[in-house]
Amino acid sequence: MAAKRPRPMRKPVSTTPAWAQPAALAAGLAVVVAGFLIYRYYTTPPPPNPLKATAAQAVVDSITGLPTSELDGIGQGSAKQLIVPVSGQALNGPTGKPEVFYMGAEYCPYCAAERWAMIIALSRFGTFSGLQTTSSSSTDVYPNTPTFTFHGASYTSQYIDFRSVETTDRNQNALESPTAADQALVNAYDRGGSIPFVDFGNHYVFAGSTYLPDVLAGMSWQQVAAAVQQPSSPQAKAILGSANLVTAAVCKLTGDQPTSVCSSATIQALEKKLG
Amino acid sequence: MAGVAVSVYLTAVHVAGFAPACPVAGTINCEVVLSSGYALIAGTSVPTSVAGIAWFAVSAVLWSLRLPRPQLAWSVVGMITVLYLVFIEIVQLGAVCLWCTAAHVLVLTIFLIAAGRR
Repeated sequence: MAAKRPRPMRKPVSTTPAWAQPAALAAGLAVVVAGFLIYRYYTTPPPPNPLKATAAQAVVDSITGLPTSELDGIGQGSAKQLIVPVSGQALNGPTGKPEVFYMGAEYCPYCAAERWAMIIALSRFGTFSGLQTTSSSSTDVYPNTPTFTFHGASYTSQYIDFRSVETTDRNQNALESPTAADQALVNAYDRGGSIPFVDFGNHYVFAGSTYLPDVLAGMSWQQVAAAVQQPSSPQAKAILGSANLVTAAVCKLTGDQPTSVCSSATIQALEKKLG
Repeated sequence: MAGVAVSVYLTAVHVAGFAPACPVAGTINCEVVLSSGYALIAGTSVPTSVAGIAWFAVSAVLWSLRLPRPQLAWSVVGMITVLYLVFIEIVQLGAVCLWCTAAHVLVLTIFLIAAGRR
């Protein structure tokens, strides 16, 4: 009997569609990204409780009582110079003095950073009262940045008027609305609508923060206040540097008054930088 | 080529510079991402997007030379980098840059095509 010829082996036929492997990979990657979102949700720290009024005032007193020599020694520090000259009709406030206008929001971490510098700078020309502590949004970048809010605070000065609009609270609920005139300023000088936005009498403006809020990450208000007392600290270099830039812009508005603030070599040099 | 174009745009935006600020839009925020420390290759002053330009350029060369295994390996490298950058955006920064996401989607597309060709 002749040997049977072996039956030829069938070529294996894949039953898996060509798109299955890429689809599985894409699904796996989607699971990984979903994991990132879940991790972020569960690791977002809760906000710190705001300080009581007396404790908040103690922090304000601490940061606004710095010696001029420390401010002058810092110069521009590590702050980024964002203030640019503009030309427009002079902006005067409710009492007829040159107005410094601020627009921001409590949720915004960049506003949170910049308010420290603005409080220090403007306190060299007048006095704040009623400043309360808050922190930026827990779910935004640089979460829970410690700061103050201008909402509910008042400011008096013999040199300037200060007016602020905090558009939302830290949870992005509506708080204050800009007037039509305020919005016109923003439209004219801040087309991107970025906040914080500060207008110095329609002579200078800036939008954004002059330093990144990460320098305040994880700190309490008291810790920030203590850090700005140390000239070598990154917080002092950022906050006081920014405060000096704001001071220089305000000095340009006030004709270098008061001289005790504006005549320093540091402020004069920064005024020249502003143009 | 689309990936190179997006990466070049991101590099140009980074070099032009902009102020760190909150936009009206909230979480979708290229300014936050591109002004963060993660926008630079660690230890250098080179924008991360420059690495993207290089990756897409090499990918284009491998594609044109029809080298499936090196292509897949290079795509895996790109995908791991994308996952790291997405982790940074979501977990560390809490903000997403749409232009960066466009580049990431292009890397993902190239990775899936390379994986499907095996």
